[in-house]
Amino acid sequence: MAQWLLIAATVLAVLGGTLGLLAVRHGYRSRWTVICMLATFVCQLGVLGVRGELRGKCPLGDYGEILAFLAWSLVLFYLVVGPAYRISLLGLFTAPVVTIFQVVAIGLLEANPERVYEVNAWGEAHAAFSVLSYGAFALAAVAALMFLVLNKKLKDHELGSSLFKNLPPVRSLLDSVVRLTALGAGILTVGIVAAFMMRRGEDALPHLVAAMATWAAYLGLLVMHFWRGITPRRMSIGVMSLFVLSLLVFAFV
Amino acid sequence: MEIVCLGLNHHTAPVEVRERFVVSENKLGAEAKRLCELDGIAEGVVLSTCNRTEYYVAADDHRIAREELREFLQSHAGMRLRAEHLYEMERAEVARHLCRVVSGLDSMVLGETEIFGQVKKAYRAALESGSTSRILNKLFQKAFGVGKKVRTHTGIQEGQTSVGSVAVDLAEKIFGHLRHSRVMLIGAGEMSRTTAKSLLSRGAHSIFVTNRSLDRAEELARELDGQAVRFDDWQRVLEEVDVVISSTGAPHALVDREHVEAVRRKRRFRPLFLIDIAVPRDIDPAVGEIEEVYLYDIDTLQEIAVEAKGHRADQIKACERIIDQELAKSGLFESS
Repeated sequence: MAQWLLIAATVLAVLGGTLGLLAVRHGYRSRWTVICMLATFVCQLGVLGVRGELRGKCPLGDYGEILAFLAWSLVLFYLVVGPAYRISLLGLFTAPVVTIFQVVAIGLLEANPERVYEVNAWGEAHAAFSVLSYGAFALAAVAALMFLVLNKKLKDHELGSSLFKNLPPVRSLLDSVVRLTALGAGILTVGIVAAFMMRRGEDALPHLVAAMATWAAYLGLLVMHFWRGITPRRMSIGVMSLFVLSLLVFAFV
Repeated sequence: MEIVCLGLNHHTAPVEVRERFVVSENKLGAEAKRLCELDGIAEGVVLSTCNRTEYYVAADDHRIAREELREFLQSHAGMRLRAEHLYEMERAEVARHLCRVVSGLDSMVLGETEIFGQVKKAYRAALESGSTSRILNKLFQKAFGVGKKVRTHTGIQEGQTSVGSVAVDLAEKIFGHLRHSRVMLIGAGEMSRTTAKSLLSRGAHSIFVTNRSLDRAEELARELDGQAVRFDDWQRVLEEVDVVISSTGAPHALVDREHVEAVRRKRRFRPLFLIDIAVPRDIDPAVGEIEEVYLYDIDTLQEIAVEAKGHRADQIKACERIIDQELAKSGLFESS
C-alpha cells in the first residue's frame, strides 16, 4: 500500500513539474503545479501514515522511509513558503527534486519493516526534526538554484526567455534562501539537542558527529552572512553544496 | 441608427494642430453632451489624449452627422481643418478602429496600456453625462472586451520599448518592489531625470543627485524630492544606494572597479544595479564583473527596447485576427 501511494505521489510530482514547465514555455502561470504538489503531499502523508503504523514509530527506519520523509518535508515547506514566490515556478524547480528522492525511496523501502514495541522518544524527535530540517535546507537549495539561474541571465543580459520573465526578483530569492537556511538550522538545533538527550550506543557517534558538522557548517554560513556579509552567489553556492554534501555524508554514515 | 467617428491623431496631424483640439479630462462629459445637442445625433463619446481627439456618435444619417461633426470640431478649435488632418469612419470601420485603439495598435508606442484606461474614462464621462445609449454602450463594451482579449492572448504589451522603462523593469527584477530601493543619479541630464522619475513612480523612495555643478544637482534634487550630494561625495553615497544611473558628459569612465570594490564590504555585498546611459560610458565595463553588480549600458538597454518593439510588431497580425473574429462573432457592427 505504502509503495503504491509513493508511486502515486511520484507521478503527481512529475505531472506538477511537467505542467509547470509547459506553462513557463508558453509564457503563462499555471495553478495546476501547486494543485499537483498538494495532491503529492496528501499521498506522502498516506505513505508516512502506513509506514508509521507498520513500524509502530516515526517512519524513519530505512533509507526509503528517510527519503520519503525528506520529500514530504520538502513539499511541506514548498506549500508553506510557496505563496511568497510565484508558486508554479518554485514548484517547477521543487518537483524534480521530490521526484528523484521518491524514485530512489521506492526502491529502498523495506518490504516488511520491523515493528518496534519500545519507543525512544528523544531518538524519534532527533530523527524527525533532523529530516524535517533537511526539507528546509532542500528548499533553500532550490531557491538558491533559482537565484543562480536568474543571476546568470541578468549578468549575461539574456532577458528574453519565458523562464526569466517568470522567475521571482533577486531580492525575494535571496531572502528566501537565508530564511529557509535559518529555519533549517533552527530545526536541526532541536534535532541535535534531542540527539544529546537520547540513549545511544557507540555506533551512533559518527552519525552525531556528521549531524553536528552539518549544523556547524550551516550556522557558519549564516554567521558569515549576517556578520560580515557574503556575496549572493557564494551564499547560494554554499547552500546548494552543503545540502548535497550533507546528503552524501548521511548516505554513508 | 449609424455609427460615425471623426478625429485626428498623431498619424494625421502634427502636435501644433492636435493641441488645438484637446478636450481636458474634466470636460469630456460636457463635450459629449454638447454633441448630442447637434442635429440628428443621438449619442456621443469624446476621446481626447495627447495623441488623439476622436468623436464617436450614433446618428440617423451618417452624412448629416459627418457634416455636423466637422462644423463642431472647427468651431471648437477656432481654425479651419485641412482634410489630411482628419479621418472619418462609419459603421464596421468605427468598431474596428475603436478595438485597435483600445488594444494599443493605433498608439504611438505600439501596445501601450495607458490608452485602455483613457478610453474607459472617456466612455464613463459620456455615460455619466447621459450621452450614451444602446448603440454606443454596445460598441464600447465590445471594444473593451476585445481589447482585454487582445492583451491577454497576444504579446502586444510584452517587454518595454523605452530605455527608461527597460531600466525600471530590470530594477524590479532585481529588487522586487522598489519601495526599499535607494537611487543615485550621477549627472543631472534629461535621460537620468526621466529614468529616475520612472523609478520614483514605481516606488523608489530615496534619490540622491550628484553633479559637477552643485546648483544643477540641487535643482534636480528639488524636482525629484531628493537630496543633492557634492560631486566629491558620490563614493560615500554608493555605500547606501541600490541603483545608480549615470549620465555625465565626462570623456572617460568615472566609476572604476576600485570604487565599487572599496565599498563592497560596507554594502554587505548587496546587489547593485548600475545603469550607464552616458556616451562615452561613465562606468568601466570591468565593474560588471563584480559578482553582485548588474551593469547595463545604453546600447544594451536600447537593444532590449528594440527587441521588445520588434516582438510587439510581430504580434500585430495576431491582434487584428482576434479583432476581426470578435467583431464577426458579435455581428453587431457589420457594414451594410
